[in-house]
Amino acid sequence: MSAPPGPVRDSAVTVSGLRKSFRVKDGTVAAVTGVDLAVAKGEIFGLLGPNGAGKTTTLRILTTLLPADDGEAIVAGADVRREPRLVRKRIGYVGQLGGADANATGRENLLLAGRLYGLSASGARRRATELLTVFDLAALADRAVRTYSGGQKRRLEVALGIMHEPRVLFLDEPTTGLDPQNRANLWDQLRQLRANGATIVITTHYLDEADQLCDRVAIVDHGAVIALGTPEELKRRYSSNAITLTPEAPAADLASLARELVEELAAESLATAADGAAVTNGTIRLAVTDTTRAMAAACALLAARGIEVADVSVARPTLDDVFLNETGKTLRDTGAAA
Amino acid sequence: MTETMAPELTGTRAGDSARGGGTPFAVQAGLFFRRKMLESLRQPAWIVMGLTTPLLYLALFTPLLNSLAGSPGFPRGHVLDVFVPGVLVLIAFGAGMGAGWPVIWELDSGVIERLRVTPASRLALLLGTVIRDIVMFLVPGVVVIVVGWVAGFHVHLAGLVVLLVLLSLLTAACSATSSALGLVLKQIGSLAAVVTGVQLPLTLLAGILLPLSLGPTWLRVLGHLNPMYYAVVAARSLAAGTIGTAGVGVGFLVTAAAAALALWWGTRAYHRAMA
Repeated sequence: MSAPPGPVRDSAVTVSGLRKSFRVKDGTVAAVTGVDLAVAKGEIFGLLGPNGAGKTTTLRILTTLLPADDGEAIVAGADVRREPRLVRKRIGYVGQLGGADANATGRENLLLAGRLYGLSASGARRRATELLTVFDLAALADRAVRTYSGGQKRRLEVALGIMHEPRVLFLDEPTTGLDPQNRANLWDQLRQLRANGATIVITTHYLDEADQLCDRVAIVDHGAVIALGTPEELKRRYSSNAITLTPEAPAADLASLARELVEELAAESLATAADGAAVTNGTIRLAVTDTTRAMAAACALLAARGIEVADVSVARPTLDDVFLNETGKTLRDTGAAA
Repeated sequence: MTETMAPELTGTRAGDSARGGGTPFAVQAGLFFRRKMLESLRQPAWIVMGLTTPLLYLALFTPLLNSLAGSPGFPRGHVLDVFVPGVLVLIAFGAGMGAGWPVIWELDSGVIERLRVTPASRLALLLGTVIRDIVMFLVPGVVVIVVGWVAGFHVHLAGLVVLLVLLSLLTAACSATSSALGLVLKQIGSLAAVVTGVQLPLTLLAGILLPLSLGPTWLRVLGHLNPMYYAVVAARSLAAGTIGTAGVGVGFLVTAAAAALALWWGTRAYHRAMA
């Protein structure tokens, strides 16, 4: 179920003009510089961006952990600034740090969370047993969390976030550090939660996660939303035309080669942007106007330089193209650098 | 595994405004106390040291003090009558000031962040640790009284009961202060520097081990600026069985005020805590 961009009355989260700066040694750093978005009920909404883009700060404001400097945020029908307690009752949160108590057992962690959210002792016990089974932790339930593996701990932390069946669940980079299998399992569980009516907001710097898991994505950079829509819409809007070239033997400097290609293609009005080139894993990716003509022209240019081409193809559009189009840099580069 | 989730994850929503988070404050504090108490009970080394250290004080320090008996600071017969209340104050101080260390670990591991997103009261969160620390003061405290009594300490029951109440307040003040310091400083090194830095002047200038009356005037003046001094004066009076004195009243007032201030500060620190 791909949720349409929801009108405000159906929103699980409505944010307008959100701003937050932090004081540091020499001045202030603007972490969030004006975020506006609406998350419809029942959708999985992704905040995609490089580290330091303001995703976590935004999430902390929405979960009442951090006061905003300016702007409005309504979460699960309550105002984050004026009714923080009401917001806390209705949301679940799985932070980047996790937050399971390592000295307690998995079951104790769940029982405490359940009781704090107002479940009765017996209700909390029932729910804890249910979640321990669903998240495949029953065998570890009465062991100290200290002894859990990374994936087991992560599953417990997600279970902690949904102990009280929140209306809106926030997850901050939930799959960072998980192996592919645990990652796929978590995606399945989040889809299942959505099927049961929950709204899910996650932050991620993984393109495939935003692409495959999220119904809609807000791409965030430097504290602001730079693009918003379904992954398909975004890819169609920004990256219908791109080609990739993989030289046979990696050339000495692929980055400068890519720049030269862009310049020469631009001279023939085939390249779209002066900075529309990216190099990843020995492959050059170029944003172009006409894929067929650009492919031929690029191959000719490489042949003129004596460079053999191992592979050339029309690029499948990715969300990285959106990012590249808006910021002039690739998400992979910024993500890896941080 | 995921195939079975659909039927199991449905159900009534506890998170809805009607019921969710309606846990009474006392229940919340009790839940947090239970969590911290279990944490302590799972560290037997900590409990053994908590019991043996005060007994070592009694065993190793008392012989040194015996030679001072009869000097101006020791108006009464047995040195233990002066020393036992001092050791009790030390236990209270130690039981409370350790609270900040786990707080930093809980900040780093996201435990506090997660608890801050629940509707739980921040004061209840703080009180869970405070009450655990009071228990961790009372248990070795009673052991020291019993052992001291065997060794010659004169027991005045009513006074001792009031004394334990007073020192529970002191434990609360120290515990809440330590938690607040941990939340504000965020780093083990900084917390260790501050706690050990204040430990010596606070305990020395309270006349815990040796009565301040043994010292020169300037030392006694400095002592009067130390809130813990009043607790120690009251503790000696209560241990001697004299309850209705001005010293006891002042001791209670100062200690209760310190505890209230510390609880306010600790609650505020939990409101803002961020790793």
